[in-house]
Amino acid sequence: MVTSKKGSALTMVVHATVLFLVIMWTIPTAGLFISSIRDKDQLSVSGWWTALSSSEQKIVYRTPDADSEIQENGLYVLRGNLLEGGSGKVVKFGISSLKPEAFEPGTETQDRRDVTFKIMANGDYEVTSEKSFRRGVRIFYTAEVPPRFTLDNYRTVLNSEGLGQSFINSLTVTIPATVIPILIAAFAAYALAWMKFPGRALLIAGVVGLLVVPLQMSLIPLLTAYSKIGAIFGIEAKGYVGIWLAHTGFGLPLAIYLLRNYISGLPGEIIESARVDGASDFVIFRKIILPLSFPALASFAIFQFLWVWNDLLIATVFLGNTEESLVLTGRLRELLGSRGGNWEILTASAFITIIIPLMVFFGLQRYLVRGLLAGSVK
Amino acid sequence: MKKSTLSMLIALSLASTTNTWANQDELIFKPGADTRFNWASFEQLKAVDLSGQELTVFGPWLGSEKERFDNVIAYFAQATGAKVSYAGSDSFEQQIVIDAQAGSAPNISIFPQPGLAADLAAKGLLTPLDAEDEAAVKKDYAAGQSWVDLATFKDQDGNNEFYGVFYRADLKSLVWYSPDNFYDAGYDVPETMEDLKALTEQIAADGGTPWCIGLGSGAATGWPATDWVEDLMLRTQPADVYDQWVKNEVKFDDPRVVGAIEEFGWFAHNDAFVDGGIKAVAATDFRDSPKGLFASPPKCYMHRQASFVPAFFPDEIELGIDADFFYFPSYASKDLGNPVLGAGTLVSITNDSEAAREFIDFMRSPIAHELWMAQKGFLSAHLGANPELYATETAKKQGEILRYATTFRFDASDLMPGKIGAGAFWTGMVNYSNGDSAEAVAQEIQKTWDALK
Repeated sequence: MVTSKKGSALTMVVHATVLFLVIMWTIPTAGLFISSIRDKDQLSVSGWWTALSSSEQKIVYRTPDADSEIQENGLYVLRGNLLEGGSGKVVKFGISSLKPEAFEPGTETQDRRDVTFKIMANGDYEVTSEKSFRRGVRIFYTAEVPPRFTLDNYRTVLNSEGLGQSFINSLTVTIPATVIPILIAAFAAYALAWMKFPGRALLIAGVVGLLVVPLQMSLIPLLTAYSKIGAIFGIEAKGYVGIWLAHTGFGLPLAIYLLRNYISGLPGEIIESARVDGASDFVIFRKIILPLSFPALASFAIFQFLWVWNDLLIATVFLGNTEESLVLTGRLRELLGSRGGNWEILTASAFITIIIPLMVFFGLQRYLVRGLLAGSVK
Repeated sequence: MKKSTLSMLIALSLASTTNTWANQDELIFKPGADTRFNWASFEQLKAVDLSGQELTVFGPWLGSEKERFDNVIAYFAQATGAKVSYAGSDSFEQQIVIDAQAGSAPNISIFPQPGLAADLAAKGLLTPLDAEDEAAVKKDYAAGQSWVDLATFKDQDGNNEFYGVFYRADLKSLVWYSPDNFYDAGYDVPETMEDLKALTEQIAADGGTPWCIGLGSGAATGWPATDWVEDLMLRTQPADVYDQWVKNEVKFDDPRVVGAIEEFGWFAHNDAFVDGGIKAVAATDFRDSPKGLFASPPKCYMHRQASFVPAFFPDEIELGIDADFFYFPSYASKDLGNPVLGAGTLVSITNDSEAAREFIDFMRSPIAHELWMAQKGFLSAHLGANPELYATETAKKQGEILRYATTFRFDASDLMPGKIGAGAFWTGMVNYSNGDSAEAVAQEIQKTWDALK
């Protein structure tokens, strides 16, 4: 009795913790999503958490100029609505930047140039003057504005020129750059796990050692090698083959390490008995190892795919920034502008680029956990 | 399902590629139509036949700037028959170094900082231009000799060579304000530095905040303050001291330099003078900082920033009505003329070819400048370019400041070695605005510079 009570209390704590963690994990994504459907100008002045409730905003409005004035009883009149059709309520207004909240809506006031202002709570305004308006006058108002959302950010990203081309480029880079390392690594992992040859342990140690080489160090030497080899065959240094090979090289150490650990953990009896039955190494690899290590292959495929898909550095170095070769990450960065000011684009583009990785992840995720555990825990 | 999405994407991408090509063939201003353009230099270009040749251009411009530059390139492509492709990157500084060293550099590179071009020239990775280009720049540009000097670097053997032509200038000595806010409060545009300081004190006494200063810029945080210091250096010391400072012949911890930093401190080290107080200076992003001018009530009355800053004004702000600028004035009590601080992008050859040579000639011809002037967001020091073609009144006024400057000096931090101008100077200014003393900051920067030698 006592133990079960304890147990339920513990379960409660576990549930609460899980709930807490789930919320903590989701908040950034939720914030990103809300930011992505907010107005660009609002985004830069207030945080996303303010977007859900109606807020009091202080706004400067400039009326249209002389082109839209009308003449009435010898006076020039400008009429319109401060909120421009949007919902909301004017709480206070002013006609000088020094006192933007001087008047209640419904009152009438005059400025230094004898221009009369009348503003209603629903935003309707009437500005009258004896002289023609040279240019629009400013009205300061404080308004209760309900939350407002827009899909403009998504429209900007989706309508940007060359996005489709970049999508294809990204796929062209990513798919071979995922398949090639897996192919090579699977062969290597089998050899390193089950074929006995001198220097095998050293080779494994070497591969593990390569894991710590920062790829940034190899960019210039690699590109130099490419342009020298390219010059011999008369082809460009920058191209898809180059980037596939680069990604393959950068991905291989981890791939071999992960797969070798998994494959060496497979039951040796099966392989032994297959050998006794006269199977060659290739047959063993194809008929036994490959099907059994599918979880590990899939989990590495997810890793590699996500890493290549999200990569910007290697793509800009080995593929370049030209219109025809720009990958998706490069294209989105280009949308940010020369000085990185348009960051509202980032929020929307994050949700657009996430589609393919999500598809890959959900397609292969049931193997992911199994593969990860199998690789590390023997 | 997946198949249909994929085919849709392919269709989309095909559609977009055809679009790109269509755009390249279209010229935004019909040759010969608008007589204000210098079409003669376009006609001359037609004599050059580069058909079948490819030219790659790499620069820092993205987004709308890229579009405008593509429009300019289209004229070169059409007149000569060359196939020109421009690529932009916001990490141009890193990428060009990788590409140049690896031997896969583009034909033409457009450097936002001459200091970086000098580094590459010293390694023998830039191609020197011929004497004809040098003479033309000297003759055609306002203050031509200074533009030539700015593009003259030592090659790997230590000989001075001329490496590039400047295309697109930025004007830095500008103070932005809202004329209506000045009218409401009864302030006048100051003509001298003394007036500007008096106005600053008056605004603070009236209960307002005079300045919006923001130094935040990601990894480059601190650079807006370097512009302040450079501008004040030119207003407190003769231009030759400035030149010596750039070459570190006048040390960074020289009292004259420390004095300029403290001048900046007069504005920025006063809670009453800056929006948000001293602490907000380094924490505010330079892109958000000008928005304070247009808040209700105004968060500040003035903002010192270069000519590109209207790109970060709120959408509804109309230049000339809601926002305007005045020249960051000089001291009436000091006889130093009206110095102007600016910057510019340098077009150089990183991979020599016939087309690259012709492209350099095109870049220094008036028509190339005019074609972008007429599209907005471009200032030119080219004397042959017709100022009537500036797309906005604001740009025209800035163009005049640039053209008639008695002293034009290039942004010092762009000329200093990268470790200083794009490193120690930036972090030093952040430390300074966070409360370190000007001497300490200057000594720290000088120490870094000594370590480079």
